Amino acid sequence: MKEPFVVASWPSVPVEIVRAAGFRAVFARGACAPTPTADQHLEPGVFPRRLRHLVEHALTGRLSDAARIVIPRTSDTDYKCFLYLREFVRSGVTSALPPVILFDLLQSGGAQIGGYDAARAHALLDALASASGRKPSADDLRQEIVRANGARSAARRLVVFRRIVPRVTGTELFPLLAAFWELEPERYVAAVNGAARAFAKRPALSGPRVLLTGVPVDGPELHQAIESHGAIVVAEIGPWGSGAAGDDVRVDDDPIRAVADKYRADAVGARTPAASLRRWSERMLDDVDAVVVSLPPEDAVFGWDYPALRDMLQARGMPHVCLRSDQDQALTPDEHARLEVMVSAASTLQEARHG
Amino acid sequence: MADKQLDTTTAASAFQKQWFADLRRRVFDERQPYALLQADVPFELFDLLEIPAVSNQWWASIIAAKRQAPQFLGAMDADGLHCGLCRYCSLGFASTRYADAGEPPWGGLPTPRLLCARLTCDCIHRVFELWAEAFGAELFEIDHPGAGELPERWWELGRRQWRELVEPHRLAFLVSTLESLVERLEAISGRAFDRNALRDRLELVNQQEEVFDDVRQLIATAPECPVRMTEQITNVMATQWVRGSDWAIAHARAFRDEVQQRVDAGVAACPGERARLMWVGAGLWHDTGFYTAFESSHRAVFVWSMYLAFGPDGYIRYGLDDPMAALASRTASFNEYLHNPPWAAEWLVHQARAHRIDGALVLRPRSMKPAATGRLFIERALEDAGIPVLPIEADVVDGREWDADAARADVRSFLETRVLQ
Repeated sequence: MKEPFVVASWPSVPVEIVRAAGFRAVFARGACAPTPTADQHLEPGVFPRRLRHLVEHALTGRLSDAARIVIPRTSDTDYKCFLYLREFVRSGVTSALPPVILFDLLQSGGAQIGGYDAARAHALLDALASASGRKPSADDLRQEIVRANGARSAARRLVVFRRIVPRVTGTELFPLLAAFWELEPERYVAAVNGAARAFAKRPALSGPRVLLTGVPVDGPELHQAIESHGAIVVAEIGPWGSGAAGDDVRVDDDPIRAVADKYRADAVGARTPAASLRRWSERMLDDVDAVVVSLPPEDAVFGWDYPALRDMLQARGMPHVCLRSDQDQALTPDEHARLEVMVSAASTLQEARHG
Repeated sequence: MADKQLDTTTAASAFQKQWFADLRRRVFDERQPYALLQADVPFELFDLLEIPAVSNQWWASIIAAKRQAPQFLGAMDADGLHCGLCRYCSLGFASTRYADAGEPPWGGLPTPRLLCARLTCDCIHRVFELWAEAFGAELFEIDHPGAGELPERWWELGRRQWRELVEPHRLAFLVSTLESLVERLEAISGRAFDRNALRDRLELVNQQEEVFDDVRQLIATAPECPVRMTEQITNVMATQWVRGSDWAIAHARAFRDEVQQRVDAGVAACPGERARLMWVGAGLWHDTGFYTAFESSHRAVFVWSMYLAFGPDGYIRYGLDDPMAALASRTASFNEYLHNPPWAAEWLVHQARAHRIDGALVLRPRSMKPAATGRLFIERALEDAGIPVLPIEADVVDGREWDADAARADVRSFLETRVLQ
C-alpha cells in the first residue's frame, strides 16, 4: 500500500507535525514544464512556478491520492493559491481534490504572534490527525522533533564542505540539502553520512565562491548556470539549500510551541522580516567572493532589498550580478555574459587576496 | 479633466487641501505628531487619540493626479528597484526617499511620528520599513492572518452577523493587535483611550455609511446616473479618511442631498445616457479624464466604482457592545472582499446587477501583483452574469507607459461591439 502523504506548497509547513500525524510530506517545486490548465485560472506574472505546477496537478487529478493539501500563509501567493483551490472545489471546476488546509503561520514581530502561531500549529496537527485517524501525543511530536533534529545535524555537517574551502559544487550539494524535507530522517542521515565520507576525500575546489540570494531557488538550475563559469555556489538563501537545516527545534514541555517558534523564525520566504534576511546575508558575505541576486519576473518582495544589498557590496568592493530571468528557464546570453564578467572580477580579487 | 458638476465635489477638494495645510502647520509649528497609514488601517483609533493620519494611497493618488509620479518613479528605477515592484503603495515612499527628484504636492509630507500598515500584501512590510527608515520614524505593523472559512454573501453578514464573518481566532488576534496599537498611540499622544468614545465614533461611522448607502441607492435606481464616478470618489474618500467626524457626516449628508436634488430634478451626469459602466479596481489616478471620455461620443457613463459601494457594505457594523471587536471584524478581510474568490466576484456581480451595469472595465494592474490576483475569477463571473468585460492593463499611479489614446480606442471599440448593440 502506498504510504499516506500530504502535499505542501512551501517548506514552512512543519515536517515534524506532518510525520507525527502519520504522513509523509511532499513539497511543490518549480519546473519548466508547461501548465496549460492552471494558466486558465492563474493570472500571469504573479504566481511562482511551484504554485502553477501545484494548481496544474490539482486540476488534472494528479493530487487525488494525497490525504490533504496544506498551504502555509508564508507568502501572499501561497495564501491566494489556497483561496483559489477552495474556489475551484466550491464552483465545481474540480471535484478530485483532497481537502485543502491553510496553515496560518505569521512571521511578523508582534507580541501576539507567538501564541497565535502555536495555536495554528495545534490546529494543523488536529486537522491532519483527523485525516489519518492517528491522535499523536506530545511525546509523539517530541519524538519527531528529535528525529528531524538528527537530520538537521546531518545537513549542517554537509554545509561544512562548502564553507571557507569548498570541496563540492552547489549543483551537487543543493539536492542533498533539499532532500532534508522529504526523506525520512534516518534515511537522510545515512545518505548524508555516505556523501560526507566521499566529500572529505576530495581536493579543495578552486574558483570564486558565490552567494546566491534574492528570491529563494527550489532547484539547482541557477547553480549550474553560475558554476558553468567556473565559480562555486557556496550558499543560497531559502529553505531548500543552506537554510534547510537551520537551528534545531527545542525539545521541551511544549513541542507545538517549539515547532511554531522554529518555523516562524527560520522559514525563509516572502514574509520573512527583511532585517532577518539582511543579517543572514551580511554573515554570509565574509565567506564569499561574489554575489548573484535572482529576481525573477514574479518577484514582488525581494527586489526591495536590492539597493541596500548593492550598496553594501559596492562598499566591500565585491562583484555582483542581478538576474531577472525565470529561475526555471535558461539564462539569456546577456546574463551569461554578465556572469562571466562577475566571475572574472571575483577571480582577480581572489588571486590578489591570496597573493 | 471634465468640470465638476456638484458643489459638494468642489467643497470636498477644498477641504482636503485645507486639511493637509492644517496638518503641516500643526506638525511644523505646533510640533504635533501625525501618522502615515495604509488605507485599511482603522483611522478611528488615531483620530480618537488626536493623532491626525494621512493615507498612503490618498497621498499616492494626489502625487499622480498632480503629474509628479514619473519623476519619483524614475528615481526608483534608477536606484535599482525593478519595474515589477508595486508602485501604488510605494509612490509615497519614493516621494520621501528621492525627495529631490520631483515636487511633492502641497509642500510634501512632514516627518510622521509613526507609520502603521496592515501586512496584507507581502511587499508592505518592505515598503513601510524602508519608508520608516527614510523618515527615521517608528513603524507599527498589523499582521494579516489568512481566512480559512469563506462564508458567502459577506456584505449581508457584515452588518449584523459580523462575528460569523471572521473566524474567532482571527478576530481575537486582530483585537489584541489593535489593543497593542492603542497602547502605542496613548504613549505617543499622552492621552488615555476611551472605549466608550470608540463606540460613539463607530455609531457615527455607521451613520455616515448609511448616508452613502442612500446615495448608492439613488445612483442605482435613478433613470440616469446623477453623479459621475469621479465625483463620487472625491466626495466619498474625502470623508472616509476622517470618517465619523462632524465634518465627514455633514459633508456626506450635503452630498446625498445634492444627489437627491439632481435626481428629483431629472439632472443626469450624462444626459441621454446609453451605457452604464462599472470600473473594477483602484482608480486610474494619473488619467482621471479617462472616466468621462466616453460621455459625449457614446453617452457612456461610469456609474460604479468600489469607493462608494464599499463604504456601506464594508464599514457598517451594528451591535457595538464590544466596539474593538466590531472594528477588528471590519478590518480583518478588506483585501479578500475586494480582490479574491469567492468574495470579490459575487459582490461585484451583485453590485453590477443592482446598478443595471451594461459593461465592466476591469483593471489589470501592471505592478500591483497582489491586487492582480482574483481578476480572472471576477472577469469570468461578470461575463457569466451577462455583463461584457473589457480588461484594462494599466498602473494606477505610473502613467509613463500608459497609452491614453490606445486605451480610449479600445473602450470605444468595446462599447460599439459589445455594449451598445
